[in-house]
Amino acid sequence: MDKQRDFVLRTIEERSVKFVRLWFTDVAGTLKSVAIAPAEVEGAFSEGLGFDGSAIEGLARTYEADMLAMPDPSTFQILPWRGEIDPTARMFCDIQTPDGQPAAADPRNVLRRALAKASDMGFTFYIHPEIEFYLLKSSQLNEHGEPVPVDKAGYFDNVPGGTAHDFRRRAVQMLEQLGISVEFSHHEGGPGQNEIDLRYADALTMADNIMSFRTVIKEVAIEQGVYATFMPKPFTQHPGSGMHTHMSLFEGDTNAFFDASGQYHLSKVARQFMAGILRHAPEITAVTNQYVNSYKRLWGGGEAPSFVCWGHNNRSALLRVPLYKPDKGNSSRIEYRAIDSAANPYLAYALILSAGLKGIEEGYELPAETEDNVWNLTDSERRAMGIQPLPQSLDHAIRKLEESELAAEVLGEEVFSYVLANKRREWSQYRSQVTPFELQQNLETL
Amino acid sequence: MASLGLSELARYGFVDLEGTVSKLDALVTKVGDAGRAALAELGLSANPDQALNALLDLADVDKVRIKKILGKPELSARLVRTVGASSAMVDLLRRKPELLSVFEDRDRKLRSPEEILVRFRAAANSSGETFDTKVASLRLAYRTELLRLIAFDVTAPDPIEAFQEVSINLSDLATSAMEIGLEIARWELSETDAHGSFSKAEIDATGLAVMAMGKCGARELNYLSDVDVIYIAEPLSELISSERALEIATKLATRMMRAMDGSGVEPALWQVDPNLRPEGKSGALVRTVESHVAYYERWAQNWEFQALLKARFAAGNEDLAEKYLAKLQPMVWAATGREGFVESAQKMRERVTDHIPANEVDRQIKLGPGGLRDVEFTVQLLQLVHGRTEVLVRVADTLGAIASLAGAGYMGRTDAEVFTQHYKFLRTIEHRIQFSQMRRTHLMPESEIAIRSIARGINHKWTSETLIARWEQVKQEVRLLHQKVFYRPLLSALAKLGDAAALTSDQIVDRLRAIGFIDPATAIGHINALTSGLSRRAAIQKQLLPVLLEWFAAGTEPDSALLAFRRLSEDLGESHWYLRMLRDSSGAAERMTRVLSASKLATSLFERQPEAAAWFEKTEDLKPIDLPSLLGEMLAIADRHDDSEKVANSLRGVRRRETLRLAMGAVLGTVNIGELSQGLSDITESYLTALLEFVNDTGLDLGVVAMGRFGGSELGFGSDADVMFVYSKSERPESDQKNAEALIAEIRKLSADPLLEFELDLDLRPEGKNGPVARSLESYAAYYEKWANTWEDQALLRARVIAGSQALRDGFTSLIDSYRYPENVESKAIVEIRRIKARVETERLPQGADPKRHLKLGRGSLSDVEWLVQLLQLSNGAKFPEIRTPKTLEALDACVESGLLEKHDATVLAEAWMLTSRIRSAIVIYSGRRSDVLPTDRRALEGIARILEYPRGSATALEQDYLSYTRRSRMVFERVFYAQ
Repeated sequence: MDKQRDFVLRTIEERSVKFVRLWFTDVAGTLKSVAIAPAEVEGAFSEGLGFDGSAIEGLARTYEADMLAMPDPSTFQILPWRGEIDPTARMFCDIQTPDGQPAAADPRNVLRRALAKASDMGFTFYIHPEIEFYLLKSSQLNEHGEPVPVDKAGYFDNVPGGTAHDFRRRAVQMLEQLGISVEFSHHEGGPGQNEIDLRYADALTMADNIMSFRTVIKEVAIEQGVYATFMPKPFTQHPGSGMHTHMSLFEGDTNAFFDASGQYHLSKVARQFMAGILRHAPEITAVTNQYVNSYKRLWGGGEAPSFVCWGHNNRSALLRVPLYKPDKGNSSRIEYRAIDSAANPYLAYALILSAGLKGIEEGYELPAETEDNVWNLTDSERRAMGIQPLPQSLDHAIRKLEESELAAEVLGEEVFSYVLANKRREWSQYRSQVTPFELQQNLETL
Repeated sequence: MASLGLSELARYGFVDLEGTVSKLDALVTKVGDAGRAALAELGLSANPDQALNALLDLADVDKVRIKKILGKPELSARLVRTVGASSAMVDLLRRKPELLSVFEDRDRKLRSPEEILVRFRAAANSSGETFDTKVASLRLAYRTELLRLIAFDVTAPDPIEAFQEVSINLSDLATSAMEIGLEIARWELSETDAHGSFSKAEIDATGLAVMAMGKCGARELNYLSDVDVIYIAEPLSELISSERALEIATKLATRMMRAMDGSGVEPALWQVDPNLRPEGKSGALVRTVESHVAYYERWAQNWEFQALLKARFAAGNEDLAEKYLAKLQPMVWAATGREGFVESAQKMRERVTDHIPANEVDRQIKLGPGGLRDVEFTVQLLQLVHGRTEVLVRVADTLGAIASLAGAGYMGRTDAEVFTQHYKFLRTIEHRIQFSQMRRTHLMPESEIAIRSIARGINHKWTSETLIARWEQVKQEVRLLHQKVFYRPLLSALAKLGDAAALTSDQIVDRLRAIGFIDPATAIGHINALTSGLSRRAAIQKQLLPVLLEWFAAGTEPDSALLAFRRLSEDLGESHWYLRMLRDSSGAAERMTRVLSASKLATSLFERQPEAAAWFEKTEDLKPIDLPSLLGEMLAIADRHDDSEKVANSLRGVRRRETLRLAMGAVLGTVNIGELSQGLSDITESYLTALLEFVNDTGLDLGVVAMGRFGGSELGFGSDADVMFVYSKSERPESDQKNAEALIAEIRKLSADPLLEFELDLDLRPEGKNGPVARSLESYAAYYEKWANTWEDQALLRARVIAGSQALRDGFTSLIDSYRYPENVESKAIVEIRRIKARVETERLPQGADPKRHLKLGRGSLSDVEWLVQLLQLSNGAKFPEIRTPKTLEALDACVESGLLEKHDATVLAEAWMLTSRIRSAIVIYSGRRSDVLPTDRRALEGIARILEYPRGSATALEQDYLSYTRRSRMVFERVFYAQ
């Protein structure tokens, strides 16, 4: 720690950093930022930066206004989009109460707790997300009330001289400058839709990276005069933006999911972890897919993972075991396909990890693999095969979450009840809308 | 030697008598008369049997030398006692018989550091051309000097007095070995390429200093322990860069350490431990002076400064070491002014004590209670508190520090003398245990023989019992000394008596602040008031206060606890029993300090009834008194007097007294929540019954019906007493109502208590506030028949008649049974109860209150559980008589038995109800005020958590527990209560 602090303070001097932004995330997953002068950084390390927590969504109850942001020096980076004039850096913060305990409602702390549990069991949790998003001409809607994408290309299309291409190149460059390695980037299925895959990292680093990623994408979009959105489903007729997440558990240097003799080279640990995720998937969906709009993606057809099942290379399964690369035991992993790009990564990863660990602890049995495209099955077939649907609306997801002991324990009582209250409010606002659909369907006929 | 009888051999100290006879003969056979002469020396050695065996073995190896040595008394003594005290040295001599030459040297004086260095260097230079051979001969040279030192130690006229000289020599041996180890490392680095290629010029230009820390730094090393070091390096010329110098220095330091602790033909000496360096294990091994300074300026923890107290130049470049010390030493003393410095030092001490395995505590010479660590800790604490302003006490070694503290007046001269003696005594034992087998241990051996050897090694007349008895006495005195030396001088009154250090008031302020008093000036005022004067009270308090101050400091609020103690003492101070209890009763004073520093409720009641202090003496006195005894006492009072004020006063006194007893018991954990609520209900029941008995001279059969939590015997501190009054009609019915109302008015008047509030609440009666305060049985019957609402039937579920004639009690109970346990419940009534509950949840919750934290009306808390139980009772009580009880927990169990509730659901509800009830009581105990809301203030949460027996720092844990218990109970409630 101390070396890292020294490094931060030295770099601030050497690079003449003018401002340091302290970043943290509220319960809804929105990035919060406060800028301090370099002279204040040392004090922030030793005593933290006091701020009024009650002004932040879900962070503190009104009577607990005083909170401390403690910067994590290992997350120090110079922000590339600021250029060389007035260089600005950022650090992620952990939030503490005035008596120095971790704040119950700090999402980063929620994930830390879950990781500590994994670590007690001897595991490190690695993550590799594929983040999808749409590039739009602007945030303005057209005359039909729809957003306007920057191009009309499709999956893997190379658009010569296209905005998206330049955009991805610039975004990848900036991410690399922030120390975030990019695995892959390409045009996705929808018009203007792009995907960037981040190279695997431990879950806390990755959650931080995802928060940085969203900022970078938004910044590059502004730079290039377009608009980027992580909304789960901005177009009725085009695919939604998911954040498929590849996961693996390591015991020291060995991949705990790998077993040369297992089916698809999956170890017992992997099978139990998968069973845990599948069993608890419905009750954590309100967090992995937290908006009314998220359910338009989950139930929008195509390859959306609407049903709780797993398969090997089955593109319709909720949990997928990707094609195994021979002789690469350490690449054994599973892919969870429900999370969308608008989730709070700290909370979502904490819950998925804990669900998986629960499977290991309790020795859950993994159900049989599903080989068919589940969308093509009839309801009765699915019922016969024991395949449950994920919640079909935010309301449904809330009711599942309400009863989840797992979620209450992992999130902590404060965050748990805040999330529920917040989502209930969103649902009741949504429900009271009269939508264009109703007007189209009913106005002239009734 | 046939002339020697076995008993004579026993007198010499042999254990194996029969065998010794033949062994002595064998020795004489081998070395002649010299063997005979050795007997006297054997008798003075620590373990004569071991010594004799060793002589026989060694005579086999080198008969000539042994004969020569044993032939000269002054030489013989050193050999015999060495091999009698240390089996490790016997092994060494067997392995390297040439070391017997040590005993041929007539000069037994210890060598100076310069001499040692010359010898070590000569050994390294004379042997071989490899790192390994040089290291081996350095190690052997070290062992030769060690053997010489042990020979010196075991023949010292008084080993306890020789301790310091031995300890200094051990430190010099260690630093000299490191110096030569460093020379070997430099030689190796320039002569070979085994560890990278560096030119000789570069190596010469690299300055490296080894700082000894810890015991070696203070020149008080023991025979075998890790040697703590820190490395400093800098380039000595322009020839190389700072980076290069650090690279070379790191190699040198690493190789030097291997020379000490790496394996080899000649075994390793001891571990070199460089982990006190900045950033510990993860930090760079070697740093420049500047980098050290930067670290201590910015990041160092309090204990790291404390460690610097003992830093001393050990080996390498002395100029660098001086530069380092000049920069860093002043920072140590600046740091002691930092907030929490002394506190964190104290916490470290607590942790050390906590980590000793239980089976070793009694055998620990170093870490156990009354061990070396206690002496060192006390001395260092005093140095830290006073060293900031007093340069004289900045001394590295323990004995030197004690002397300087006494010299500067921070420690009494007598105390300092005792401390010094005890420290030397403990260290002497430690040394003997260590060199007997050259093992790094601080444990008294378990076997009697081994203990006997240690004892005889200090004084050949001692037995194992002598040693253990002395040691126990020293341990006990050391334990008391900490308290005496640190806390006693806080009482300036004692200074005038001249048996303690006389501190100035600034110095006292320093100490009080160091142990956690927020307002030392006021505390001094209290201490002075408690200890001034010549009264017996002041005299006893002078004795007691030092230890009380230590206990207050261990609690959460020392300042207010001290104030409360002063008040109490002023009320009670002259009572004979109080002083005796404080002085004599083990644990009573400690229990009292705990109550004073944890509970405002108990403290305030206590101030009114100081005589309750007597209860601290016996745990039985802190248990609730049962209802019959309590009622008996109160009725006797009512019977004894005619004057109503007198009676009321006495009854109030009893009520306050018993409430205080429960509060104290709750703080000290002698009363659990069940006993507490039953106890509080019993007090209220006896109080009302006795008052009624006293005022009722009309002959009217007036009954009291306990309702609500009182009815269920579930009262908490400060709960209102919900009651209704009922009477049977007399022969002159026209005056009954008037009589009843007059009696009730009188009871209300007499029961009121300004000091411990008593609220008689009649609002649950028919027609509520508008109805008459009492009714006849017939009137109740008519009312319930015609007018009663569902909620009134529900309220009757917790009705319990506590006074009145048996006929009246039975009459009333059977009347209400038909309403509270109806044969048929209309579904309309059930709906009505559910609706009222839903409305109450929102309407009665105070404005802005967080429903999650409201203990009474909040989510899943008391009212949810109680309403659920009552709904089940109302609907099923007729069919299942076993569920008819006003007690919530009993009812929950019974509902499970009757199949009305799932076992799991009942458990969830009961757990939430219990925790909530406990928190409500703990709030009143902690703050002295009633509150229905879980506090948000973290300090209050912490205080409450401590009363609920959570460990230190559990504010968040308590909150988390409460929220999750009640969330689960709410889920059960919603499922069962609303959805039948």
